[in-house]
Amino acid sequence: MKEKLNALLLEGKEKIASVKNEVELQDVKALLLGKQSPLTEMLKELPKLDVSLRPEMGKAVNQVKSQLTALIDERRSELKMKASEVSADFDISVPGIRPLSGGLHPITQMCYDLNDAFRSMGFEVFEEDDITSELYGFDKLNFPPDHPARESMDTYWIEGHENGHGGDRLCLRPHLTGGSVRYLQTHKPPYRFVYPGHVYRNETTDARHERAFFQYEALIVDKDFTFASGKVMIKSILSKVFGRDVPVRMRAGFFPFVEPGFEIDMGCLVCGGKGCSVCKNVGWIEVMPGGTPHPNVLRAAGLDPDEYTGFYVNIGLDRLVMMRYGVDDVRLFHSADLRFLNQFR
Amino acid sequence: MKLSLSWIRDYIDLPKDMDLKRLAYDLTMSTVEVEDAIDLSKQFDNMVVGVIQTIEQHPNADKLRVCKTDIGGGNIQDIVCGGSNLREGQRVAVALPGAFCRWHGEGEPVEIKKSKLRGVESYGMICASSEIGLFDLFPFEEEATILDLSDFDVPAGTPIADALDLNDIILEIDNKSMTNRPDLWGHYGIAREIAALFDLPLKEFKPFVTDASVTDHVNTDVEDTKACPRIITTEIDGLCVRPSPFLMQSRIWRVGMRPINALVDITNYVMLATGQPCHAYDSDNIAGHITVRHAAENEKLLLLNGKELAMDPTDLVISDDEGAVGLAGIMGGAKDSILPKTQSVLLEIANFNAKGIRKTALRYDNRTEASSRYEKAIDPERCAQALSLAMELFGELYPEMKVTGFFDNYPNKLQRAEIDVELSWLERRLGKRIANEDIAKKMGEMGYEVSFNGDMMHVVVPTWRSTGDVSIKADIMEEVARMYGYENFEAAPITTSFEGAINQLDKDLCRRIKEYLAIRCGMQEIFTYPWMEDTFVEAILQDTNGILALATPPSPSEKYIRSSLLPNLCKAVAKNERYFSEFSIFENAQVFRDADYTTPYDENEKLPSQCRHIAGAFVDSAKDITPLFRKSKGIIEEMARYTHMEELTLKQAEKPVWADNVVWLNIFLGEEKVGNLALLNKKASMACGIKNLNVMLFELDMDALVPYRSRTNRFEHLPEFPMTEYDASMLFEDSVKWEDISRTILSSHDNLLHGASFVDEYRGKQIPAGMKSVTMRLAIGSLEKTLTSEEIENCANAVLKRLSKRFGAALRTK
Repeated sequence: MKEKLNALLLEGKEKIASVKNEVELQDVKALLLGKQSPLTEMLKELPKLDVSLRPEMGKAVNQVKSQLTALIDERRSELKMKASEVSADFDISVPGIRPLSGGLHPITQMCYDLNDAFRSMGFEVFEEDDITSELYGFDKLNFPPDHPARESMDTYWIEGHENGHGGDRLCLRPHLTGGSVRYLQTHKPPYRFVYPGHVYRNETTDARHERAFFQYEALIVDKDFTFASGKVMIKSILSKVFGRDVPVRMRAGFFPFVEPGFEIDMGCLVCGGKGCSVCKNVGWIEVMPGGTPHPNVLRAAGLDPDEYTGFYVNIGLDRLVMMRYGVDDVRLFHSADLRFLNQFR
Repeated sequence: MKLSLSWIRDYIDLPKDMDLKRLAYDLTMSTVEVEDAIDLSKQFDNMVVGVIQTIEQHPNADKLRVCKTDIGGGNIQDIVCGGSNLREGQRVAVALPGAFCRWHGEGEPVEIKKSKLRGVESYGMICASSEIGLFDLFPFEEEATILDLSDFDVPAGTPIADALDLNDIILEIDNKSMTNRPDLWGHYGIAREIAALFDLPLKEFKPFVTDASVTDHVNTDVEDTKACPRIITTEIDGLCVRPSPFLMQSRIWRVGMRPINALVDITNYVMLATGQPCHAYDSDNIAGHITVRHAAENEKLLLLNGKELAMDPTDLVISDDEGAVGLAGIMGGAKDSILPKTQSVLLEIANFNAKGIRKTALRYDNRTEASSRYEKAIDPERCAQALSLAMELFGELYPEMKVTGFFDNYPNKLQRAEIDVELSWLERRLGKRIANEDIAKKMGEMGYEVSFNGDMMHVVVPTWRSTGDVSIKADIMEEVARMYGYENFEAAPITTSFEGAINQLDKDLCRRIKEYLAIRCGMQEIFTYPWMEDTFVEAILQDTNGILALATPPSPSEKYIRSSLLPNLCKAVAKNERYFSEFSIFENAQVFRDADYTTPYDENEKLPSQCRHIAGAFVDSAKDITPLFRKSKGIIEEMARYTHMEELTLKQAEKPVWADNVVWLNIFLGEEKVGNLALLNKKASMACGIKNLNVMLFELDMDALVPYRSRTNRFEHLPEFPMTEYDASMLFEDSVKWEDISRTILSSHDNLLHGASFVDEYRGKQIPAGMKSVTMRLAIGSLEKTLTSEEIENCANAVLKRLSKRFGAALRTK
């Protein structure tokens, strides 16, 4: 009898351990402890045993029964912990649901990136009107009275205001620099500000030329500032845009509103400066003009050029964004084509 | 501009082994951008002078010959050629296998290979001048004329580049980078700059002296000495028209001009060398004496290029007693310029005012090599330099020539600019002290006279920089810095004082609104142009009153500049309909009106009304516009909360012209109307070319919005007792508005009722026609205790009863 019990216990243990789910466990439980189970049969047989043996055997059978019951309970909670609520056929390869798909224009994104970088250096952000006058577009910027840019058709003059002079001759701003003078006039030195905005030129458009484009100007005016500090501003812009340090060089350049003026080049990122078709084999790419504000520009803003000086850079964001993403047609920026814009997150 | 390095070497002794890269680099860094440095001889690689030994008829082709040609060192090869001017003993240009030629002078260069021509092996090709890029130097008229090099006394096998002395480097300079440097528009000017950069001595021109008298022809009369500060006229006899020496032709050709004949070539050569234009007239054709005067109204002049001008009094002309003979500083007239039989020349070397020349050249759309130099403001002293070189060349080319008349009409000498610079100022601006001797040396090499007195440096500017280019001390600082080398100034830190954090509420608000729309509301920002297409102006704005326009618009139908962002937004919708049926876009930009002119910065400047707007379009193609309407309305309603500004409200006050008759709202900030939110009506939508889309538009005056100075969210204690949400649906007549329902619900002042919100509305099968089911959610609770279900029920029933009474509404479900 004892041997039979031991065998039952062993067999039960094995069966319980081998079940894979709660349904199987329920079957095993019926098999081991149910009404027709050998254990129940044995309990039923107990009265037939000799009285002296009954207590011991009863105890033994009940012990096995409670042992098996405990094992089953244990196994059940084990299975519960492992089980999933979901069918095994659940397809986890189904794609997720996209959140809302809006976005800022890639140029706005770049502009905000730069604003953040400059604000961290204590620069203000300045914005200003799109319509300006010859007075601020040219006169106050030290463009000589007979400078070709004033006469030419490069500028979008406003109808009915195109033939005036100075403050009466209105146009869509051809550059931002005139607006900087407005800032200088209305604020107190020292100045540190950036000035993002659209500018407009009457040009024939193609993949590299646009009539409306986005400039970003940065200007410091302070006492005893050397032009070599301008490199810090330039590096800040480029490393923000490209996410790494970019080699920079300043070379002679001429613009009426700066003296000295510079063309600022960055090392070609395509070839690493070795020379390639992108940089026309020179290893450098012209990215922005810059320089020390011309004394006449400072004077126009009511400052003494002997006391104050500074540094200015003006960068075309369209071109930088094109370089950052490899966009090959500048006209896409104003196309409002969602197939293009959707690509920038 | 193209420059020949060997020409530059006429004026400075550049070391033979000059590192070309270094030269181009230093020029680029300090003076002008060298875009390219081209080795001229490269295009003549694998081309040699061949001497034709024998010529035989090609066995299979009438027009071809087989030339046994000596290509050097006794190496005689068969070359098949169709040239019409072949002869034995002739020196010809042979393109050997590996050379690149243009077939018949056209198309891209192709590589020459050893090949069979109609069955006969040909070792390369005997070339026409056009096939090796030399047509301008060796022009021909008849087809199949090969280049005859018999005049060049070189042995067979001599490389073409050596035979024609074409071993030269051509520097290409970016013109834009030298607009402010009139002194650099000739080889001599660049040579002077290189001399200063590399500390080399610069050769000078021998001054021209003559005892020729002021004859009638040369006795110039200048009407306006401001327009023409100087004119030198020289009459030269004993000349004739013939080709100039090959070297002169070759140099003119190398830098992009065409040789004509010796007399014209001398004038062009002088201009390319010194930057000073000059012009030669046939002296025998000049009637009386030369006058420099303004043209008469409608005066006619036939130019050298065949164009006839009808001039006006702002044009300056060179005139003889009979009339205008040339357009000053731009182009000579056809009548009196060099003719085939010219024997005596009247050489004009003059200085003209830059502005006048530019205006005239621009008006006639006739910018020439001469006018583009005058435009930069050349100094009048340079006339003398040009004269020296010109007379030297006339003497060389025509040893028998005679100067028969000379007059230098130069009443007011150019004053050299003088500038005082404090050395302490210079040091502060440069961030570096540069020794006086070093400054003096470099400046001296550039033609400046520099003297020192304590802290003061006195600079006398050379004439060629005194026409406006160098006039203030910042210019001197630039000269010192660039000659010292910009790269030799290390980046210096920016030192600054901190006075307070940057706090720009308006900029922050603008950015928050854009980020709210883009990131939280899923809209895509777009950029459009400030001008609008007429179609969209008519469709949306319908009235052009008060809209500003461009004087020279990008196209005739894009004249108006935006007074609203909506026309361009609708254009963008129409454009994207092809690819998308559900999207939302917005734009933030300025709008303009021909009104409310102000003088915000300068009393002399009147600017029109300019406001920053933000506008958006929500687009879908659903049958029911309710979801689109509710989505767009929700975005406007929640904008203030998410962007921290004063609350916006929506109500109907004034319907926008483009809006649907029913679905429209105005956006208010307090009592001020600041924008619109409405459905684009069908008519406007169709006029915009939008086919199947519902378009909800909003436009908001950004400048009117008021940002909060700080976040304004309030903390509320969490309720101690539970709040119950009680949903109920009731049937209302279709015309009943939620606004009235909600007002009725909240009119009871029941302490237990804390709010009512709209959940849904439904029209359809189970609902009688003309009715709708509105589901609402009541918030019921007490601040003092937990309510029993009976108390909740009573509160809700009171509300429903009120609604039944007010609207005759029936309860549908609970």
